[in-house]
Amino acid sequence: MKISAIALNTFREAVRDRILYSILAFALLLIGASAILASLSIGQEGRIVKDLGLASSSLFGTFIAIFLGIGLVFKEIERRTIYAIIAKPIHRFEFLLGKYIGLVLTLLVTVGVMALLVAGLAWAIDGHWTSDLLGAAALDFLALMIVTAVALLFSTFSTPTLSAIFTLAVFVIGRLSGDLKLFADQFAGPGLRLIINGMYMVLPDLSRFQIGAQIVNALPLDPAQIAWTVMYGLAYILMLLLLAIGIFQRRDFK
Amino acid sequence: MPRPFLQPARISTIALLLAGVVLFGAVAPLHWEALSGAQLGVAERAFFLPPPEALRVASLGFNNVAADVIWLLTIQYIGAHIFTDAKLPELFQMVDTVVTLDPHFVEAYTLGALFMNYSGGNVRGAIALLERGTRANPTRWEPAHDLARTYYLDLKDYRQALHWFEVTDRLPGRPHYVPRFIARLYAATGHRETALGLWRAMRDSAGSDWVREIAEREIAKLERPAAPSPPQEAR
Repeated sequence: MKISAIALNTFREAVRDRILYSILAFALLLIGASAILASLSIGQEGRIVKDLGLASSSLFGTFIAIFLGIGLVFKEIERRTIYAIIAKPIHRFEFLLGKYIGLVLTLLVTVGVMALLVAGLAWAIDGHWTSDLLGAAALDFLALMIVTAVALLFSTFSTPTLSAIFTLAVFVIGRLSGDLKLFADQFAGPGLRLIINGMYMVLPDLSRFQIGAQIVNALPLDPAQIAWTVMYGLAYILMLLLLAIGIFQRRDFK
Repeated sequence: MPRPFLQPARISTIALLLAGVVLFGAVAPLHWEALSGAQLGVAERAFFLPPPEALRVASLGFNNVAADVIWLLTIQYIGAHIFTDAKLPELFQMVDTVVTLDPHFVEAYTLGALFMNYSGGNVRGAIALLERGTRANPTRWEPAHDLARTYYLDLKDYRQALHWFEVTDRLPGRPHYVPRFIARLYAATGHRETALGLWRAMRDSAGSDWVREIAEREIAKLERPAAPSPPQEAR
């Protein structure tokens, strides 16, 4: 009950934020523009719209997750509203979970709008509905939930500037971790391989959540692999939230 | 206490700037083309194209989008040369970049090979590209079919053409005429009819005027009185 109240409040706060609408406007503009770009592609209109649309949804969703996520806790500290909240009969983990769920709800709405626009455009161009596109957006949404959890984790102990840098770094490494592991396996010496493999184990592999290329190229999807990816994502989010709660519990607000 | 650099007002500015950079990055290649046409042509820019592996890393896993952007540049490059000097020396490198970024972009193999062959005169490059396409997409009939067509029509290598038509025949979604062509190749007859059939099929299924024009040009050549010499036995 307390968690849902905080989540709803965070959601309301986020939807009033200028950042959300600015980023969403840019994203919708880019997805719309993809239809114009597609007309220059010799029969590849559907492909271009889907590729650019899914990438826009993913990238702009990440911007929203980072730029709203880094301020989740810090804003409360800066405005000193945190003192009023922790003085109430509410556990710190409830506060943090509420904040997280509120932002995830915001992301769900924005990514949902973008995904529906992409699917609608693709339908208008291809002449048939590709429901798999919504599946790709859903899996990418799980990756955005991880990025949000990373931003929340950093925001519990760091400034917004550092949180933004760290979260962006985790996002970049996460997107490239598949390639990094391949590089380590093929070219790196034993020492470097150990470091890269260690990083691969610790940092999230966000490339796992990208199935847009398979859908656009009409390649078969492996349901077992998708199920493992979903479980991997949920486990990772749980681990990040537990870590964030652990740090936040120990934080001194005197 | 010093105020942090990222205050709420600044966060919106930075978020807007980042969003703007992404938007600009997506449309910049086309704007650049329009603005710099006189100073720097697509061919010159193709020459400076980064290695595909570097682009893979720089695209942060958005490989398909990077492949699409290079594909749009490739289309502009073909368009700039196809009806003028008909020289496409950078085409192989450009298509190679596209298919390295997205090995399952089947149309890049087939259209790239078509223009490389019939507009750029590089039949060996077209064969290499299509063979790569069949390796990367063993369940798609299009690269195998185009490989058969190229061996048949351009290299007159009927043994290879037969092999690739047979490969095409085993793949789902292949055109209905493939078994008929295989039969003709086994019988070693009807070369002109087979060639005309292949070109007419391409013309009828063409997704663009450029492809249709190439097909019509080749049909006109075959319909002239002097018919080509009959094929050797395939097997």
